Amino acid sequence: MSRWLVDGWQVIIGIETHVQIRSSQKLFSRAPTSLLNDLPNSRYNAFDAAFPGTLPRLNKKCLDLALRAALALDCSVNERSSFDRKHYFYSDQPVGYQITQHYSPFAVNGRFTSPKIGMPIRIKQIQLEQDTAKSVTNVRTRTSLIDLNRVGTGLLEIVTEPDFRTADQAAEYARSLQELLRAVGVSDGNMEAGSMRCDVNVSLNRPGEPLGMRCEIKNINSMKYMVAAIEYEIQRQRAILETPGHTQKVPQETRGFDPDGWKTFKMRSKEDAPDYRYMPDPNLGIMVLSEKHIEAVRQAMPPLPAATRSRLLQTYTSSGVNENNIDVLMNLDAIQDVSYDGATEDSSLGAVAYFELCSKGRDPKFVLNWIIQDLCGQLSALGKPFSSQYIPVAQMGILLDLITTKQMTRTSAKLLLKQMLVFPSDATVRRLAENMDLLSPVDRHPTLDDNNLRDICKRAIDALPSEAAAIRAGNENVMNKLIGWIMRQTRGKVDVSRTYIILKELLH
Amino acid sequence: MLRRFASNAAASLRSKDASFNAFVSFTDSPKTENGPLNEISIALKDNICTSGLPTTCGSAMLQDFRSPFDATVVKLLKEAGAQIVGKTNCDEFGMGSLNIHSIHGPVINPFRNDSRRAAGGSSGGSAAAVAAGLCDAALGTDTGGSIRLPASYCGVVGFKPSYGLVSRYGVVSYADSLDTVGVLAQDVQKVQKVFQYINKRDHNDPTSVGVRYREKGRVLAMESVQRWDGESLKGLRVGIPQEYFPSELTSTSSCILSSIRRLLVQLRSLGAFIVPVSLPSTEYALSAYYVIASAEGSSCLSRYDGIQYGLRVPPPPGFDLTSTSKIYAHTRSQGFGREVRKRILLGTYALSADAFDNFFLQAQRVRQIVRNDFDRVFSIENVLYSEMTSEESKVEGPGVDGVDVLIHPSTIRTAPHLDNVSDASRERDTIQDYVQDVLTVPASLSGLPALSVPMQTSSSLTPSPPGKGYQEQAGGEDKNRDGWPIGVSIVGQWGTDELVLRVGQVVERLNQG
Repeated sequence: MSRWLVDGWQVIIGIETHVQIRSSQKLFSRAPTSLLNDLPNSRYNAFDAAFPGTLPRLNKKCLDLALRAALALDCSVNERSSFDRKHYFYSDQPVGYQITQHYSPFAVNGRFTSPKIGMPIRIKQIQLEQDTAKSVTNVRTRTSLIDLNRVGTGLLEIVTEPDFRTADQAAEYARSLQELLRAVGVSDGNMEAGSMRCDVNVSLNRPGEPLGMRCEIKNINSMKYMVAAIEYEIQRQRAILETPGHTQKVPQETRGFDPDGWKTFKMRSKEDAPDYRYMPDPNLGIMVLSEKHIEAVRQAMPPLPAATRSRLLQTYTSSGVNENNIDVLMNLDAIQDVSYDGATEDSSLGAVAYFELCSKGRDPKFVLNWIIQDLCGQLSALGKPFSSQYIPVAQMGILLDLITTKQMTRTSAKLLLKQMLVFPSDATVRRLAENMDLLSPVDRHPTLDDNNLRDICKRAIDALPSEAAAIRAGNENVMNKLIGWIMRQTRGKVDVSRTYIILKELLH
Repeated sequence: MLRRFASNAAASLRSKDASFNAFVSFTDSPKTENGPLNEISIALKDNICTSGLPTTCGSAMLQDFRSPFDATVVKLLKEAGAQIVGKTNCDEFGMGSLNIHSIHGPVINPFRNDSRRAAGGSSGGSAAAVAAGLCDAALGTDTGGSIRLPASYCGVVGFKPSYGLVSRYGVVSYADSLDTVGVLAQDVQKVQKVFQYINKRDHNDPTSVGVRYREKGRVLAMESVQRWDGESLKGLRVGIPQEYFPSELTSTSSCILSSIRRLLVQLRSLGAFIVPVSLPSTEYALSAYYVIASAEGSSCLSRYDGIQYGLRVPPPPGFDLTSTSKIYAHTRSQGFGREVRKRILLGTYALSADAFDNFFLQAQRVRQIVRNDFDRVFSIENVLYSEMTSEESKVEGPGVDGVDVLIHPSTIRTAPHLDNVSDASRERDTIQDYVQDVLTVPASLSGLPALSVPMQTSSSLTPSPPGKGYQEQAGGEDKNRDGWPIGVSIVGQWGTDELVLRVGQVVERLNQG
């Protein structure tokens, strides 16, 4: 533990994370959830606007996604839980209270492990609650505009025990939590868009002494800010505690982070803390979650990233696929759009599934390189994210087989791949290759052999005399220029390694 | 042509209502679909949302409010072909027992025009509209007696069904866990007729009880009915809860007592078995009720801030605009009447961190004890709790020794004079209003079906021949023997609404007898 001390101070950090549930409708109303670019006040109904006579109706899809989060975080799910009203008067809450789970959250006692944090983080509880509206205050005109698009969206509040000791651990937790929640389809965890926000509790104490007074830094919406806020807070609290005489105490406060000044600031002290008058919601009663239902959710859940990673490693390491390759592949999935309502019957395969299908009966290392370097490389050159939809598994398989059976060179295959991405067509891969005249002469003209290749190589040496001289002088790198010339002349129809060998013979 | 006729109907209703103030708005051209309720004209309490007419809840806060949708009960009635004639006056947001706390002014009891008496509340307009013959039936809401009490004062039948049978979607909340939509009409049969069309499971109301429980309750009710239905009441066990005869009743309203005694004698002579029972927690029910109702009320009414809809009172120039809650305070201080403000303050206190355990939680515990009391005396099990896994929450009923229904007076007095209760000019003792609720709130806390049927009062009887079974109170110069109506309440186990209504019909027949 001592390795984490900051000049003899132990830093204790706990995190409360709010994530928006990726559901198509809100938690208690059938109004659609909104995106940042939706017109203000275009996504709400009478319930969201707190009209009299409206009543909440729990969205089962939200509940199932919440259960996925609980299972992914290894929580025990309470068979019976309930909803409470948290009262306060503010323009972002038109009904005057937020429905949350104050007295009896649906999931407790979880555990989060990440190899990069180095120790398991205990999850205290997860509660289901409503998001607020957005109010935009104009200081000059002293007016506020209220946008109800976000009000009532399902939120999960995930509360850890104070198990972190450094700012980096805290940030790593937020990062991996984001990855986890995205993988199981609970949330898109987009901090910039506000679908994931963190409140961080920080306190300092001397090892062996009781915990110090904690300060809570509210609504941190980027990993960078989180690290900065915690580090600033450590220094601020240290300065108070190390004041000569050692009589000063850190006052209990709620603070915010100012990204312009790169520091935290006081929002309110303990004395100003509002009394939320929590009351069990008389409309929603007891929520009963049966073992059977929880099991059904568990069965339908996509695999957790950690499980996928270790399975891929176990399966493909022997084929030469390394950890790095797998991380790249998994990151392709991690940045995919998270579908709504936990849908998994999505027609498009993820990168991992695409890889595994393509590598059936083929060399996994070879397949992976083609997916990561060529397919993704060309897609990113076209400004497109990875998708398995451009080249279906079967097409990709034929393309790869044409290479391994030497019917097509790598260079030709790249050209063909590009063609298929830029001008999608229903034609078969072989037909396309034929149309573009990309199939190896070896295939079309069986007579074409090393003699033909030797002729072309000789022509290359004649065409590029200075390069040939440089190679003869020992500059092997220039060999690529000759090969490039041959490729252009033959439209890539030669086998590169064979050409290389012949050129080498001719030049020595 | 039709339209002129229709608005003439509205105008005629308006003029007939002028001396009662039962209505606050009228349907210009009531459209009806073909259906089983074609012949029935129905008025709606003004806290039930309608898209066609304003929904004011008797409050300045919603004086010009028009709901974007029809409540589920309104939709069901329209589908059944009922003619919705207008909206009725009520105490502001249902808070009150005399219908004097309304922005539209008090409702005048139409029973007799020789004195200006209160109609009772909070569904006073609905009771008065039925009593005055302005409509066949009316919907009211009952949170702690708001249907049964005005029904008793106005001399009509008022029915609060089991909580969870009738949808609350579109009914403006006062206290979500208690609010119950019910029916008022001239006779039990008409109540029954309207009730069967609004007694439907509604997925828009999370407190609407599922079909399985409804059916279980109905089966148990019919089993009981089959035991005694016919010429004789042999097999019907009627409980008389001793706690429902408080000192306020025995000291001032001997005519109520004698009427009850007379009724019981008649029931016994028909073969019913009259059993004295005890519901010992009754004395705590009233306090628990006011804590829970006020706490929920303070919560349910926090949505009225003048921002999205309804009244908005802008702060005066130079006012501190940085605090949102202080801006809301202007609207809320002016938009809510005295009684509502009082209950909001009480409820807010009951929910504050320091008071929560001693008030709100304690009241919830009392509520459970009150429920247990009922479960202990009824022969029919409470189907809502009988399947619960936790054994400690299950109360062993008395089985065959239990009673089918309870019977007790609906109120402790007849309708008071409006002059004596209006608090316009001077401070008056409002405790009486609350004590009045003592007979009605236990059924509300327990969500039980409760029906108030007009009783034949002693003064309206022809002098009885000596030697009859019931005893007339000596010294007949009782000041409450005023000839104004009083109701008798029939209360049953949860879900046995059919049983309660059947017993109500018997009582009704005896009273007309």
